[in-house]
Amino acid sequence: MEQNNHDFSIPQRQPSVAIGIILIKFFRMTIRAMWPILVSLIIGRRAGSTFDDIILYVVIGFAAYNLIGSVLTYFRFYYYIKDNAIVLDKGVLKKTRTNIPFERIQTINFSQNLLHRLFNVVSVEIDSAGANKSEISIDALSKDEAIALREYIIAEKEHLISESGTEEEKEISLDRSPSELLLHLTPSDLLKVGVSQNHLRSMGIIFAFVFTTMNELTNDIGDFVSDQFTQFESFAEHNTLFAFVVSAILVTVISFLFSLGNSLLKYYDLKLWMSKNGLKLVRGLLNREEVTINRNKVQMVSWSTNPIRKLFKMYTLQIAQASSSEVNAHKSKINVPGSYKEQLAKVINMVFPSEYLGTEVKHSISPVIKFRIVLFYGVLPSLVALSAWFLIQDTAFYFLLALPLSFFLGQAYHKKRSYEINEELIRSNGGIVGTENVLTQIHKIQAVKVKQSWYQRRKQLATIKLYTAAGEMSIPYIRLSEALQLENFVLYRVQTDKREWM
Amino acid sequence: MINHFENLSIDPNELPGLEGINFKLIDPNYLKVSLISSVLFFVILIGGAIAIIEFSDIEEKINSYLISMSVIIILAAVNITLTILGFKKKQYALRQRDIIYTKGLIWSVRTTVPFNRIQHAELKQGPIERLYKINSLKLYTAGGQSSDLVIPGLPDKDALSMKDFVLKKTEEDGTKQS
Repeated sequence: MEQNNHDFSIPQRQPSVAIGIILIKFFRMTIRAMWPILVSLIIGRRAGSTFDDIILYVVIGFAAYNLIGSVLTYFRFYYYIKDNAIVLDKGVLKKTRTNIPFERIQTINFSQNLLHRLFNVVSVEIDSAGANKSEISIDALSKDEAIALREYIIAEKEHLISESGTEEEKEISLDRSPSELLLHLTPSDLLKVGVSQNHLRSMGIIFAFVFTTMNELTNDIGDFVSDQFTQFESFAEHNTLFAFVVSAILVTVISFLFSLGNSLLKYYDLKLWMSKNGLKLVRGLLNREEVTINRNKVQMVSWSTNPIRKLFKMYTLQIAQASSSEVNAHKSKINVPGSYKEQLAKVINMVFPSEYLGTEVKHSISPVIKFRIVLFYGVLPSLVALSAWFLIQDTAFYFLLALPLSFFLGQAYHKKRSYEINEELIRSNGGIVGTENVLTQIHKIQAVKVKQSWYQRRKQLATIKLYTAAGEMSIPYIRLSEALQLENFVLYRVQTDKREWM
Repeated sequence: MINHFENLSIDPNELPGLEGINFKLIDPNYLKVSLISSVLFFVILIGGAIAIIEFSDIEEKINSYLISMSVIIILAAVNITLTILGFKKKQYALRQRDIIYTKGLIWSVRTTVPFNRIQHAELKQGPIERLYKINSLKLYTAGGQSSDLVIPGLPDKDALSMKDFVLKKTEEDGTKQS
């Protein structure tokens, strides 16, 4: 309560920079929705076409609407503190008032994009917990003021709780205990993370992007491609192998650079702090993002690795926390790539009771799943391809490759898939090329499903699914009797555990 | 029975299992409601197909009719058979601490939601359901859409009392949320 130079009790507007930030936010939303129209307008504009003119007017109209909208939004937006609650008044046509009492505030997150950093402001997100979920976000506050506001709320909240709160509430009160810097992604670590990204995924994204863009630009993609590549095509016809190698290298290099750039933007200078009650994460190059993870809200912790990342002895740590709003869903799963084993262990030890973290018996799943994988990913595609012989001729033979591939897929899947359980925790292991492990506390499970296909019923097998407030865990193809015991035990633990799951 | 999990403090075989649970069928009127809605759906589909064929400039209209109608009729037949046969699989049971709902003819699914994990409950009634005086009970959990439980085909007189029962149980079993 040292910062008394800020008086939060009077309704205040955001600093005037906020107009610009709101404007840009509106603008980005519009462009994201309408960029195909804009691109085709710029590229394909023919003089004197009335249709194009109309579109242009519509675009200008939208821009004007945005401008007016953001200015009005700014002037109708007030925030203040009243009766130990933070209050937000906003709305141009429909006025709304959001009110979050201090006791219910769970996290206060700051984030900064490039523009915010230029003007030394932050955007603030205040998240609450409990039955009446709500969330406040302020687009721009000067950094000093935001910090003062956070300090003020935390101090007041502690004050309130120490006066009237229960023991339990005191424990979950906002975190002020000293925190330890657990992980800092150095430039070399960042490079390793970039190199070991899933490049196939980037390739997919690039392909999807290229094809959708082309579809928007030209109505007939076939014509477009043949127009562009006629010369290349005649050359390529005689040098098929050469053309293949060149395009393969090109695609690989582009995907590689794409994922490298992507990880640089996203994970630059990533820092993870750990304290008694939670974790704090800051990351990003242009968009500086800050996420607070409350220990009690964590529902699942998972860690995965792929062959390249394994060479660097690195894991991707994912912490899934119960989110109070659907909008914020992307923030409910936090990825920390480039975590080393000891950092992983520290996080898991903090989140889950460490006395239960020993090794347990690995229960494997039924080997029958191998046949199913061969059937669905090997035999069926081959049969479809062969029956389409009259359409694709010799190409059909390539599809026979699916048979050995699916065989290895099935072997690898079955070998790595297993689960472990004890009184407190349940863990599932899996992966095909890499490995993936998911760990959750049994009492955090919300619902249980036991599924059986017609085939599984015949073989006395079942798939069990466990739902938590931040994702699900699935254990496929285990014996029915095992699934029933698992179901009963999980339900028993959930029903008798009086601890809060959040 | 063998115990698959030796490391647990309690033998799962000693826990109350599914034996002796009194599963209840849902109201037979629900079958009528689902049949009426699928018939309506297919009527609209046929209408749409006719409109498309009539307004397009296809020359061999009879062929298009033959193909589209036979596809729609096969789909409708499969759908209706599955609806009728699958109806008996839709069952629910209220236990002391949880609620169970089973469904699915080919892929059977049994969902169990403990009362102390239910966030809120509501009754829903569509226009056709209203005619037959039945309701769907929707139970929301924090597990999101895929774990929310919907029990259809509850007659008006039972639905409300069941909802109240579930909410009462939720209150008794639930840990207090701050």
